[in-house]
Amino acid sequence: MTTTSETSPRIIDLSNRSTLSNYSEIAAAIGLRKFSTYCEELPLNGGASTLRATSTAVISNPWAGSDTTADLAPEAERIAPLLAKLLTDRLLEVLGGAEQVEAFGKAALVGVEGETEHAGAMIHTPYFGNLMREALDGTSILCFADGHGQPGEKLRIPMWHKTAPATRSHYQTIEIFLSDAPAAGEIAIVAAASTGPRPFARIGDRLTDKPITSEILKEIAL
Amino acid sequence: MKYRKLVTIVEEIVREGGRDVDPVARVAIVAAVFDNPWAGEGFVEDLTEGIDSVASDLGALLAPRVLEALGEPLEAYGKATIVGLDGEIEHGSALIHTLKFGNHFRDAAQATTLLPAVEKRGPAGVHFDIPLKHFTDATIRSHHQSVEISIPDAPHAGEIIVALAGATRGRPQQRLAALSTEQ
Repeated sequence: MTTTSETSPRIIDLSNRSTLSNYSEIAAAIGLRKFSTYCEELPLNGGASTLRATSTAVISNPWAGSDTTADLAPEAERIAPLLAKLLTDRLLEVLGGAEQVEAFGKAALVGVEGETEHAGAMIHTPYFGNLMREALDGTSILCFADGHGQPGEKLRIPMWHKTAPATRSHYQTIEIFLSDAPAAGEIAIVAAASTGPRPFARIGDRLTDKPITSEILKEIAL
Repeated sequence: MKYRKLVTIVEEIVREGGRDVDPVARVAIVAAVFDNPWAGEGFVEDLTEGIDSVASDLGALLAPRVLEALGEPLEAYGKATIVGLDGEIEHGSALIHTLKFGNHFRDAAQATTLLPAVEKRGPAGVHFDIPLKHFTDATIRSHHQSVEISIPDAPHAGEIIVALAGATRGRPQQRLAALSTEQ
């Protein structure tokens, strides 16, 4: 008699609530092991600071043991929106809200027993990217890193401007470290954001560059 | 307190050993990266002046931030200092092994025990483990734990990292017999 309730998922509304606490049901639904949230404050001249942050979720690889013919869409569509919500809630908590965010990026690192495609499935579809972009109030495509990862590796995540990705001052990366993730059967998914450009950015922009071609190789001064 | 970088890390451990961690274990670390106050001075016999100029301000900077990041009552805590390659380990020790530093954390967390510590010298990006023990009784075995961090570009040779760490509970899935059962 209880079969029906076990097979019919309970519907919850996450559009208007925080996932910073009381998230155990969501965690269980996506096989979450841990979060790690990293924030660095870089003081600038004159008293202001830039904040750069990452939020990382470590989950069980839902496709562990499957082969390259497996359809990744059902699990990606189920899990990626929850990851986007959980991670952006944490990013915005430490950075002070979407209006503070100027640059963003994302990453997924899969443990050695998984496929690179498993990492990509978590971040390269609208089920993750569109939700992250909307939460951080951006319009740019999200730049990214993906691939295999080992526990204890340093992970470097690229970011660029959230509404004007060609803005050179906002090209930057942030490096994080996870002591015990991703394990062989896990995936680590990272959302990253910054409240400003690189500290002391001063290498011009596309709008200020002169036209440069390989013609300059003809007159090299040594 | 002038610093080059202030790093805050929060870990939320939701599962361990294949079982849920309930309530979720939270660990927060706040680390400041700043110039070694004795850089370039050779062997300084009396470190008092540098201690007085830095230690209390450092404790006041870090302690409230750990509690804010933790977001729930603290049950275990610890501290660390990593000295850049041009400094002495004694320089970092000088800044954290003084009540002028530690009392800020003890008072803010309503704690009573001494803070367990790690002190070492290393290059930028060095990994280090911060030990934590129970905040009112350092013999409570369930709360012995450590957390590992690394700050990618710190410390420079002439810098020091000082960190405070706090946890909301003991080890996830802790299930060892108490010390008293072996005495």
